Amino acid sequence: MSEVSSERDVWDDIPVGEDLGTLEYVLTEKMVSDYRRVVGNPNAAYPTVAARHPANLFYRKYRPVMRLPNMGQDSEYFNPPVAGKKIIVSAKIHDKYIRREKKYLVVEAKAIDEDGRLIETSRLIGLARPNSIPAFEVVAKKWEA
Amino acid sequence: MVPVFQVGSNLSTFTREISFEDMVEFEQVVWARDANAHNDAEVAKRDGLVKPLASGQTQMALLHELLEKSFGDGWVYGGKISVRYIRPVYAGDRLTPHGVVSAINAENGAPQFVLDVWCENQDGQKTAAGTAHVGQPTQKMSWIEGAQA
Repeated sequence: MSEVSSERDVWDDIPVGEDLGTLEYVLTEKMVSDYRRVVGNPNAAYPTVAARHPANLFYRKYRPVMRLPNMGQDSEYFNPPVAGKKIIVSAKIHDKYIRREKKYLVVEAKAIDEDGRLIETSRLIGLARPNSIPAFEVVAKKWEA
Repeated sequence: MVPVFQVGSNLSTFTREISFEDMVEFEQVVWARDANAHNDAEVAKRDGLVKPLASGQTQMALLHELLEKSFGDGWVYGGKISVRYIRPVYAGDRLTPHGVVSAINAENGAPQFVLDVWCENQDGQKTAAGTAHVGQPTQKMSWIEGAQA
């Protein structure tokens, strides 16, 4: 069955360029050390890998209606975050497209610190799934085939 | 000694086993997340999976480590990566990140290395694949030394 329904869904109404707002948090020493321990890399430069900036801002608005399993990521890294500094993240809908009858959204997030230092830009390539359908159903079928 | 890379050079790599405990904790570090398909078997089943799968970010973390160790500041200050997650990673899988230099371009008078990057599981299957763009390799790790590049 085609994943692209003739009925309109939330994906159809999400405008490319939509501003998803901003969020802020302080990256603590503990967050940095916990991340480095969990990934087994005592020198990891970007604990923000675990912060999922694009997903967090997307879900703040769309969690009640849509899931966005992570199919890929396009990221650029400028300056590692400094423990103790506030990180300010802004995000927008960068793109949307249909590929092999599946709907995708690309959410772009930009992170700077409290001194205006650019940390990273990150684009989440997500498979758009209405909440009425199990989020990983279609990829699970492919993986298990 | 600063590594010398040519087109075709393979990056020195390592292998990590992904435990369920790691998957659970990964969902809590930096940004605590609720029960989801990466840390809870029931949620994974509701989401259409046979069992929890590791977050794609787990693989991204391995690729970061590979590039940090090989390029130092050359990756950390200005590196780019584009990756697609193509097979699931489950608890108990052993992942090895890989990188091969595919091109060396000049950008503003400095070499820019283009790499094919991927993660491979214990069965030799690619679980993630993409490309990375990285600057000149160096042993400098300015983010650890506390200096700004």
